Amino acid sequence: MSYPAERHELNAASQSPPEIHAPADRDLADIIRVLAGDIQAFEGIVRRWQGPLINMAWRYCRDRGRAEELAQEAFLRAWRALPQWRRESSFSTWLFALAANVFRSDLKRFPAVDVPLEAAPEPSGAASQHNALAAQLNAESVRRAVLALPHRYREPVILFYFHEMDVAAAARTIRLPEGTVKARLSRARALLRKRFPHLEAQHEEMEFGTLNPGKEA
Amino acid sequence: MNQTQTNQTDNIHTELAPAAIDNILATEDQLVPTSGFLASVMERVREEATAPPPIPFPWRRAIPGILLAAVVFGGGAFEFVRHALPAVRELSLTQPHLSAAFDHSLEQAAWVALALGVSLFSWLLSKRLAGRSGLL
Repeated sequence: MSYPAERHELNAASQSPPEIHAPADRDLADIIRVLAGDIQAFEGIVRRWQGPLINMAWRYCRDRGRAEELAQEAFLRAWRALPQWRRESSFSTWLFALAANVFRSDLKRFPAVDVPLEAAPEPSGAASQHNALAAQLNAESVRRAVLALPHRYREPVILFYFHEMDVAAAARTIRLPEGTVKARLSRARALLRKRFPHLEAQHEEMEFGTLNPGKEA
Repeated sequence: MNQTQTNQTDNIHTELAPAAIDNILATEDQLVPTSGFLASVMERVREEATAPPPIPFPWRRAIPGILLAAVVFGGGAFEFVRHALPAVRELSLTQPHLSAAFDHSLEQAAWVALALGVSLFSWLLSKRLAGRSGLL
């Protein structure tokens, strides 16, 4: 699995000292410097992980300003807790788990949405499916509906898709067994499918339309 | 034949069922951090790093007060129990009215409770005044 920051860093690896290439090595080098008292070294960590953390926070709240605030808070907590990182897991795993804790507790206090799943807006009909804007709105409705899922199902869904559909990574971040995450994902999908039955029908039509173009003619 | 077609459609539907959700939730535009984000995080980190360490609790000054309070409260509780127990023992289910001994003990217990209240109030007041004057 590769995160955006890692991809970026891999591209930019030629500009770094030859002995340190992998992002994990850079993280470790920066952490050692930070723990030795070099505050400036933390900037490297923030630079590498700001994108992933903001995007992760965005999936939790779908509010850009709040996502940046949450990510900032997560970085501050990471700064404070850096001496507690025992290197038992990778830095990214530790950072994501810490960030998930921050986002979770903040959103418990100030929920992103207080609309029940049943009240989440239904995507528009199949007739407007060819309209790109309508499709975009439909997708946004589904994404927002994730926030209306019950808490126990919401977070596995957010983290599963954030980690590019990697159940193990989501389970590590949320600190739950993989089986539990899989079960919750399955239940969450069932809830979303039940809420958006038309979406599946539209998707099916699109698939058939793509597979059998003659059918439309 | 129709049965086969129906089964095929069902299978396709089952396979596709999570795909629509997956397609939508997995494909999301990546947010790019605003230009000031890094600077703002580092500013807060520097603020935190340069902030003076929190003032430790003045245990040396507080311990005598805590001990005194413990003695006062412990003594008060002991006295309360000492006076209240005989009165409770003297209570009888057949005796409908409160005995004079119980009345006397109750009065003493009330005095003890009042003394405890005064002690607590004076302790809280002194703590508040010390806090205002910066002693604690």
